[in-house]
Amino acid sequence: MMSGYVQFVDTAKSFGPVDVVRKTDLGLDRNSLVVFLGPSGCGKTTLMRMVGGLDEPSSGSIVLGGEKVVGPDRRRGMVFQSYSSFPWLTVEKNIAFGMRYRKDLGAAEKAERMRHYLELFGLADFAGSYPNRISGGMRQRVAIARTLAAGSDVLLMDEPFGALDALTRERLQVELRQIQIREEKTIIFVTHDVEEAVFLADRIILFSRRPASVVADIDVAAELSPQRPLEIRETQKFFELRNKILHLIRNETGVVV
Amino acid sequence: MFSSLFVFRGRASPMTESAVSVAAAALVVAGWELAARAGIIAPQFLPSPSRVVIALWTMLTEQNLVWHVVVSTTRVWIAFLLAAALAIPIGIMMSSYRIVGAALEPMIDFIRYLPVPALVPLSIIWFGVGEETKIFLLWLGTFFQLVLLVADDMRRVPHEFVEVARTVGASSRQVMTDVALRWMGPTLIDNLRITLGWCWTYLIIAEIVAADSGIGYVIWTARRFVKTPEVMAGVVVIGLIGLITDQLLRLLHRRLFRYL
Repeated sequence: MMSGYVQFVDTAKSFGPVDVVRKTDLGLDRNSLVVFLGPSGCGKTTLMRMVGGLDEPSSGSIVLGGEKVVGPDRRRGMVFQSYSSFPWLTVEKNIAFGMRYRKDLGAAEKAERMRHYLELFGLADFAGSYPNRISGGMRQRVAIARTLAAGSDVLLMDEPFGALDALTRERLQVELRQIQIREEKTIIFVTHDVEEAVFLADRIILFSRRPASVVADIDVAAELSPQRPLEIRETQKFFELRNKILHLIRNETGVVV
Repeated sequence: MFSSLFVFRGRASPMTESAVSVAAAALVVAGWELAARAGIIAPQFLPSPSRVVIALWTMLTEQNLVWHVVVSTTRVWIAFLLAAALAIPIGIMMSSYRIVGAALEPMIDFIRYLPVPALVPLSIIWFGVGEETKIFLLWLGTFFQLVLLVADDMRRVPHEFVEVARTVGASSRQVMTDVALRWMGPTLIDNLRITLGWCWTYLIIAEIVAADSGIGYVIWTARRFVKTPEVMAGVVVIGLIGLITDQLLRLLHRRLFRYL
């Protein structure tokens, strides 16, 4: 089954004697937002990090657009929950950092791209501010903008909204969904929050407890339209999906959420 | 009226806080002056502050104190800069490359606990009683501490920063220069400031043992003749130099790291 843009081929990972990810075969479509959902510490982050080339599979491999992943490069960008933006750089320089090592762009082009992403994320007014002067939500926007500016095709997001307050988190979820559609990116989004998963995902891969193995593969795009206004959270379909996943988690993973 | 000043973790205006600082210091000095004048304690043990000030003045005008201060300061800075110049790269290497750490850390950790005064005889055997001994002792007291502090700072660079840099295409060297060193900056300056203070501590030991110049020598000579005001004046001078250096480095810290 070699169909996905991101293809896990018998990918497994162990750290010493500890199995973290069981042999996984999985193909992810291009330009879609896939959520890796599972209990904390289950190994879903490790699976995602292997796509980034930050961890190496113990066996099997990961193929991206027909090419085997070896080590990190700027086509696959990471967004972390914390320490996401460099405190010694202003907002605009943080975004520019994504392009710092790109030799294919001239200075004018870099400046243009930086302005584009400042605007896109509503950061223009904070261009000259340092990260400690802006809110946590703004800092995560900076991190996403930097990754996009780097020209990443695939965004790897490790619970990026986990440390934000509920309202900011909702807004960023809406924005992320819009940006995914607009910029046509492939996003792997790791979370243990079921509502966040349903709201964001085209597809949810539900993982068991460690060692991670795929418990369920849920096609959210078949139920919910790609455009996700906030109100979608109050629809019948949203509830049904959410409840179905909660049941799956209780029954299949043995974890009480 | 004063109750507003005693709110738990409350803040007074900067003016009030400065006024309180000055007043408290003045109160201590005044108490000391009174105690000395009342003759509660014999003046060879506790001379009054005014006598210390007079002694300081005499030392400045008649006994070439400025020259001794220059000599001591030079010793401290030479030793300190030598220690920093070695400790910073070695500390960084220790945390960046595990083998370097494995090779050096146990040794350095051991030497760090050797009390510097215990090494005075050895260093006199090695270097005689000249400048080398003093610089060596000061260096000894700071290098081994600083190298471990630097190594620790380097270790604490958040891994997320390193990975972000790698995923936007930074090479190993670029991760080091553009991320790790930038992140370390503020703590590095802080650690330098702290170790510079230790350097002054060891200076006095070095100058008491074997010297014919420097503030430590001045203090030790004054002690021999029970010139307590001079002894105290010498101590005060060291305190003042420490205070000024510390404030300058703090200022530098604020200037360099405006983003904090």
